[in-house]
Amino acid sequence: MWRYTLKRLLQGLVTVWFIATATFFAMHNVPGDPLSGERAATPEIRANLEARYGLDQPLATQYIIYLENFIKGDFGISYTQRNRQVNDIIREHFPVSATLGILAVMFAAMGGVLFGALTALFRNRLPDTIIMFMVILGISVPSFVFAALGQLLLVNINDLLGFSILPVAGWGTVSHMLMPALVLGMGTMAYLTRLMRSSMLEIINSDYVRTAKAKGLPPERIFAKHQLRNAIMPVITVLGPAIAAITTGGFVVELVFAIPGLGRYFVQAVQQLDYTVIMGTTVFYGAFLVFMVILVDLLYGWIDPRVRLQ
Amino acid sequence: MSAALLEVSNLHVEFDTYGGTVQAVRGVSFSLEAGRTLAIVGESGCGKSVTVQAMMGLIPMPPGRVMQGSALLRGHEILGQKVINGKEIRGAEIGMIFQDPMSSLNPTMTIGDQIAEPLVVHKGYSNKKAWARAVELLELVRIPEAEKRAKQYPFEFSGGMLQRAMIAMAISCQPTVLIADEPTTALDVTIQAQILDLLKDVQKETGMALILITHDLGVVARMADDVAVMYAGQIVESGSVDDVFYRSAHPYTQGLKRAMPSNDPSIARNLQAIEGSPPDLFAPPAGCAYAARCPHSMQACERYAPQVFELANAHNARCWLQHEQSPHRVEGLYLGGRHD
Repeated sequence: MWRYTLKRLLQGLVTVWFIATATFFAMHNVPGDPLSGERAATPEIRANLEARYGLDQPLATQYIIYLENFIKGDFGISYTQRNRQVNDIIREHFPVSATLGILAVMFAAMGGVLFGALTALFRNRLPDTIIMFMVILGISVPSFVFAALGQLLLVNINDLLGFSILPVAGWGTVSHMLMPALVLGMGTMAYLTRLMRSSMLEIINSDYVRTAKAKGLPPERIFAKHQLRNAIMPVITVLGPAIAAITTGGFVVELVFAIPGLGRYFVQAVQQLDYTVIMGTTVFYGAFLVFMVILVDLLYGWIDPRVRLQ
Repeated sequence: MSAALLEVSNLHVEFDTYGGTVQAVRGVSFSLEAGRTLAIVGESGCGKSVTVQAMMGLIPMPPGRVMQGSALLRGHEILGQKVINGKEIRGAEIGMIFQDPMSSLNPTMTIGDQIAEPLVVHKGYSNKKAWARAVELLELVRIPEAEKRAKQYPFEFSGGMLQRAMIAMAISCQPTVLIADEPTTALDVTIQAQILDLLKDVQKETGMALILITHDLGVVARMADDVAVMYAGQIVESGSVDDVFYRSAHPYTQGLKRAMPSNDPSIARNLQAIEGSPPDLFAPPAGCAYAARCPHSMQACERYAPQVFELANAHNARCWLQHEQSPHRVEGLYLGGRHD
């Protein structure tokens, strides 16, 4: 198990290095450069600045410098924001995105497993039909629509009650997190429900569930001990990418709910061609995704002995 | 004949499918005495497994349906019941093992836990006590290093060992009847013999009755006291092993025997297949289900369903050739001594 963990971590490092390299060369090929701002500098000043920031060096040297800085954990300073380091931006805003994302994934995973199992147990009956209709909605309606509807719902409920049970927007307390997390997790929940349903249907008809019935076990026990654990595997598999996708892709929801997450800076940086912020956040998100996938692989081994022991 | 342990009579099972209703079991009756072995033989799709699954309540409903019939275990109806005399039928009164041991065990649970489970559920054992008993049961089915093996998962066992573990699980609560649904079909030949020997020994030790479902007549000859031959959802011949093998009274039994290889060098012959295929059970024929394939079929066979003729004590055949007015004599077919 330890060997396996170590191997996965090393593979992860290689992947992160690859992401960093790809980002570097991609950014290098973007037209324009940090010094071609609105106010055109004279060639002399420009040459001085290039020399100062090492932009006159050959590409390979620039790449080495970039990697050295990354290894030291220094992503540089922002080009567009006054006096801010990329590290500060990530440190301040990533925890917000991560908290929201993890809460959303928890909603998605619990809801997906629960609803998926329910639909399978009630297949082709009313609960199944209702939930599967909701699933289609959840997959096809974009998150900003859910976000707006969620806000509208909260406004109406708060209005009706005369006091605020959940805030409509903003950030700070747990109550601020619930509605955005639910909205953010909605699509993934729908997807996981479908996944769980099909995997559960397969297992309901499996030989070992028949064996469990022939042993005379009560249905609750068959569900908990024989069906759930085996059916949950495909859900676990997609959970890693799902965590990363939700955490990084939450900027629309963050924007609607006025949440100071990292996503906003990521998008802003791209719009304003803020080189260091783009590279820093891309590599950071990449590393995060890789780490999550590794974590899920390890979790997978913990749940399925066949993975753990081979 | 003493009162039978298990008495199944006139069992009918149907399945709804998109193509219509399949009459999978059409009036099966048999009885099983304590401590004896009954083999149910027949080709694929003849209703062997459905018969025993109906008794265990393992038929998915819908689409399946038990239309009529009864199955009495020590005089208590078990069809549609879960508990008799305060004892759960499945797992406690009747144990069952299946064809494919590789897929019949839960891949994410240790073997020991799976064997201990019925003990916890049916006998109220503590987890620790059940585990200790599970290890003993593994030793009973001759798994070496049972202590260590109990902690392993199904993928670490071979097919033969898994079937042993299945047997340990099925007998954990000392059932009065053990149903083995083609227990050796998925195993290779050398392992088959070991599993059959094991079943026999376990039966001797516990005194339980065994229902063995198979399509292998060699297995029947080795294991069974009584045989029921099934065809198209009905039992066409039943009796003791000697009666059915040496005084076969139904042309289908005869056909099966001719299709079986023999290692007796004095019987040098080619295997003979039974021509044709079984009837469509969406609309079973009005007459005898075997008439279309039977080399001795008469006009009456196609029109009227044959009744069951009792030829000797507990030797029955469902065939018009056994009727006293039947003019035929058939080479090798036992006719209750009528033409001797």
